[in-house]
Amino acid sequence: MQQHMDEPVVRLQGVTKRIGRRTIIDKLTLDVPQGEVFGFLGPNGSGKTTTIRMMVGLMKLTEGEIIVRGHRISSQFEQAIKHVGAIVENPEMYKYLSGYDNLLHYARMFPGVTKQRIDEVIELVGLKARIHDKVKTYSLGMRQRLGVAQAILHKPALLILDEPTNGLDPAGIRELRDYLRRLAVEENTSVFVSSHLLSEMELMCDRVAIIQAGKLIDIRQVHRSGSEPEAAQVAFEVDQASEAAQLLSDLEAVHQENRILVTADREQIARINARLVSAGIKVFSIRPLTKSLEDQFLEVTGGEQIV
Amino acid sequence: MFNFIQLIRNENMKIYRRPRTWVMLFILIAISLAVSIMAYAFPDGANGELPSMWLPFQISTMLGINIVTIFAVVIAAETVAGEFSSGTIKLLLIRPWSRSKILLSKYLTLLLFAVLFMALFLVWNFAVNWLFFGADTAAVRGIDQLPALNFFLQYYGYEFISLVMVVTLSFLVSTVFRSGSFAIGLSIFLLFGGQLLTGILSLMNYPWVKYVIFMNLRLSDYLNGGNMFARAEQEMTLGFSLSVLAVYYVIFIAITWYIFKKRDVAT
Ligand SMILES: Nc1ncnc2c1ncn2[C@@H]1O[C@H](COP(=O)(O)OP(=O)(O)O)[C@@H](O)[C@H]1O
Ligand SMILES: [Mg+2]
Repeated sequence: MQQHMDEPVVRLQGVTKRIGRRTIIDKLTLDVPQGEVFGFLGPNGSGKTTTIRMMVGLMKLTEGEIIVRGHRISSQFEQAIKHVGAIVENPEMYKYLSGYDNLLHYARMFPGVTKQRIDEVIELVGLKARIHDKVKTYSLGMRQRLGVAQAILHKPALLILDEPTNGLDPAGIRELRDYLRRLAVEENTSVFVSSHLLSEMELMCDRVAIIQAGKLIDIRQVHRSGSEPEAAQVAFEVDQASEAAQLLSDLEAVHQENRILVTADREQIARINARLVSAGIKVFSIRPLTKSLEDQFLEVTGGEQIV
Repeated sequence: MFNFIQLIRNENMKIYRRPRTWVMLFILIAISLAVSIMAYAFPDGANGELPSMWLPFQISTMLGINIVTIFAVVIAAETVAGEFSSGTIKLLLIRPWSRSKILLSKYLTLLLFAVLFMALFLVWNFAVNWLFFGADTAAVRGIDQLPALNFFLQYYGYEFISLVMVVTLSFLVSTVFRSGSFAIGLSIFLLFGGQLLTGILSLMNYPWVKYVIFMNLRLSDYLNGGNMFARAEQEMTLGFSLSVLAVYYVIFIAITWYIFKKRDVAT
């Protein structure tokens, strides 16, 4: 395992997919490092699923190469795919089989997946109580968990999930987020997760790649809450915006309708608030406008959802 | 490369965990039983004598083999197309197995199903009629006046070869068009429509007629002296028909594997 530490788990090199004359994925190049939760963000139709299909060998590449743990998916499929677990689009299962038989089915396709491992995975995704029921009686959330269970049975180095939060309620999304984190930590699994919702990506991922119309736009580090001492833009909603802006001119405050925008860190926000209040200006709300992924996402996609 | 048997076990699980498979078996058993009961209850002889066991056996065989073929066609149609329509194909193909081996496991499991059902039917049909009507070791059948048991064992063998052809075609359609209902429809149409078509073809006097697949699916005719629909000058023999079927078989298999290996899966 040691020699893999610096090597990316998966490497996409100039990955291109053309169907007919249409270029659906255009020279995509990126690396997913070991142990990271990597987000793949793009509006609907931007090519996330197509990319994932190529990563797991369901679709052939028109150009480029995908290398998993040093093995090319195109020419060394079996060696490469051994390290991968995935859910592509929906977690589809044999509905007429029980959850357990579904897992048994996939376990048989790998060497060395024991009965204990199956039980361990069932425990991990919290399906113990219903595992012997037929899948057709499962809720979407339960099927999603079963999907994750089949994907991690063989302790893959890379777990690929395509829009895993689709159709989940907030509690389900939260749970999913928690056990993805746990996987990354406990089983040292790298997770490649796609979504068209950036709020989720910000909560789940260490880094996020943004794609639009099949092209990679940017890869950004996500800084997580609790570890952000840097200054960010903050909006103060006040009753006298122009006065407030004048008062804070030393901080290059910008006046915008009924609010002012200032760049400040946590400490500064408290001080600015005190200054405004003592100057007799009413503060209705304070909102950090972290130059978030959202801004950038909207910038690059121009706010469009469908491409 | 690890245990290929595991793939077969998976495919078996997907067939035998479904109630419909057991319904099929029940139907098959019931048919043979029904025929025997009818023959027993309404004996046809002038003095109410029971017929030889081979008469109801033969009637059940005609029905049963067609029914086994239909069931196998349904399983064949489902095995690949069903994975596409349920989307499970995506989970199946992302395991450390080549697509060829996945497809092979499905095909072999299908043949196992057909062998099992054919064998169960043969044994059951024999046992039931033996119990109802008693043994009849003197009966002979076919152009060579073979002992009946010997004749029917060969008959089942030839019919099984025809079944494999029809089922392989269904498997091909299932794989190429990813539609189970289309595969069932087309195969059943070819099975029965083909028998009709053979009659029509036999009226035509073109040299290519004898290479048409349906003309050659009637292997068991050779036990009774030759292809019922063939003209003497066509010189159709068992060896000829088997060779023609072998060529079709290789083509069917080649197309199926080629398409399955190369296709992008985007369900
Ligand atoms: N099999 C296909 N044939 C033709 N076009 C396709 C096919 N699959 C996807 N596309 C097109 O490729 C683009 C990307 O699709 P997809 O990868 O599903 O996007 P996403 O998962 O990001 O929503 C879409 O415009 C879609 O219409
Ligand atoms: Mg998608």
